[in-house]
Amino acid sequence: MTELLIDPNIRVWVFLPIVLITFFVGVIRHYVSVLISSQKKAEITQIQDSQAMIRARLLRENGKYLTPHSFAMRKNFFNHEETGYFKTQKRAPVAQNSTAMLTDMVKGNFINVLPMVIIGGWINWMFSGFVTTKVPFPLTLRFKPMLQRGVELASLDAAWVSSASWYFLNVFGLRSIYTLVLGENNQADQTQAQADAMTGAAMTMPQDPKAAFKAEWEALEITEYHSALKNVEKDMLHHAFGSDVSIENSIRQ
Amino acid sequence: MGTKIVNRIMLITGLISLLHAAFSAAHHRTYLRLTEQDWTHLPVDVIVQTVVSLLVVVYNLIQVVGNFKEIRATVDMQEKSWDTLGNLPSFYTFNHRGMALYQNYEAEPTTNIGNKSSLDVDY
Amino acid sequence: MSGRLTTKTGEIVAYSEAAIRGNISAVEYCRTSMAALSGCAAGILGLNGLLGFLFYFLSVFVLWLLVLAKSGTQWRKFFINRQSLLTNNFMGGLCTYVLFWTFLYGMVHVY
Repeated sequence: MTELLIDPNIRVWVFLPIVLITFFVGVIRHYVSVLISSQKKAEITQIQDSQAMIRARLLRENGKYLTPHSFAMRKNFFNHEETGYFKTQKRAPVAQNSTAMLTDMVKGNFINVLPMVIIGGWINWMFSGFVTTKVPFPLTLRFKPMLQRGVELASLDAAWVSSASWYFLNVFGLRSIYTLVLGENNQADQTQAQADAMTGAAMTMPQDPKAAFKAEWEALEITEYHSALKNVEKDMLHHAFGSDVSIENSIRQ
Repeated sequence: MGTKIVNRIMLITGLISLLHAAFSAAHHRTYLRLTEQDWTHLPVDVIVQTVVSLLVVVYNLIQVVGNFKEIRATVDMQEKSWDTLGNLPSFYTFNHRGMALYQNYEAEPTTNIGNKSSLDVDY
Repeated sequence: MSGRLTTKTGEIVAYSEAAIRGNISAVEYCRTSMAALSGCAAGILGLNGLLGFLFYFLSVFVLWLLVLAKSGTQWRKFFINRQSLLTNNFMGGLCTYVLFWTFLYGMVHVY
C-alpha cells in the first residue's frame, strides 16, 4: 500500500469543519426542538376519567376488605343503572386532538428531517471530492462505495474516507456524544416524565373513554363481594394461641 | 467538596495534557516527513504522556460523576417520616360537610402559619 | 417506583428503581466519555488494526475496575450485578471509540 500524502490545508478547511458543523448542528437541533415542542396539556375531564377508572379498579381489587355495606355503596356509585358514574358520563370520542397531533408530527419532521437533508446536501456541495482521512484498520473492498462516496477511484485503498462519507460517519458516531453533552437536559426530561408518572398515573388518558368505561363497568359488574375478613377473629385467635384447644381453655379461664 | 474541585482541575489538566500529546505527535510526524525518515513509533515521552493523561482523566471523571446511590429501597424509606408515607392522595376528601353547614362562614384571620386553618386537626 | 427481586438465599429485597437508574446513567456517562477519550488516545498513539480494538477492550476493562474500586467492597449496595456493568452498551461505545480513533488518527498521522 503506497502512503498517500494529503495537503494539510484539507485538514484545516475540510476535515475539521465537517466535524464541527455536524456537532453544532446537532446541538442547535436539540435546542430548537426544546423551543418548539409544546407541553402536552391534560384536560380536566381526562384526569377525572382516569381517576375514576383507578378508583373502580381499586374497588375491584381491594373491595374484599370493606364491609358489605360500603362495598355496595361504592359499587352503586359507579354502576347504578340510572345514576352510576359510568352510566351517566357521556364522553365524546377523542377527536379534537387530531390537529394537535398533526402539528406535533409536522414539527418533528421539520426538526429531524429537514436539517439532515439541507446540511447533508450543503456539505456534499461544499466539500465534495476530497479524500479526507484514513480509517486506522484495514477494510475489505466491500466498504469502498460506503466510505468513498463522491470519490470514484478504482485503485484507492478501501481504508481511505471521502468527505461525504466522513460526514455520515460523524452523524452516526456523534449520537452518544450528544447524550453526553446535552445529558443534563435529557435527564431533566426523564425525571420530569417520572414525576408525571408518580403524581398522576393518571395523565395517560385512555384513548377512548367510552370504551374504557364500558370495560370497567363490566368488570365491576361481575365482581362479587367476598369478605376477606369474615373469619378474622377466629384466624387471629388461632394465630395467637396456636390451637383450638388452648383457645377454648383460655376463654374459659 | 474540596476534593471535587481538585478532581475537576485534574480533569481539565489531563485533557489539556492529552491535547498537548496530540500536538507533539503531529509535530513529530511532520518532522519525520520533512527529514524523510520512516515512521516506526512515537517517541516514548509522548506515549507515556498520552497513557498517563488518559488514566488521570478517566480516574477523575469517575470521581466527578458523583457517588452512587443506594439501590435498596428500604434505605430510602428509612429517611422518610410517617407523615410522608401516610399521605394517601386517594383518600383526600374535598367535599367537606362544613361547606354545607357553614355556608355564610367568613374566613378567619390568617394569623397562623401556612394555609392551615385552626379547624384542622394537628396530628 | 420499586422493583422486587429474590436473591439466591430466597430473601426478597426491594430495590428503588430511581436509584438504580441514576447509578446506571452515571456509569453510562463514564462509559461514553471513556470510549471517546480512549479513542482519542488510540488515535494519538497511532494504533493500527487489531491493536486499536485490543486497546478498546483494555480501556473498558480498566473502566470496569475503576468503577468497582469506587464502589468499594460493597458493590452490591449499588448494582444488582457486576457483569452487566462490563457488557452494557459495549457496541455503542465501540462506535464512539472508532469515530474518535479515526478522527485523531486522521488529524495526527495522516496529514
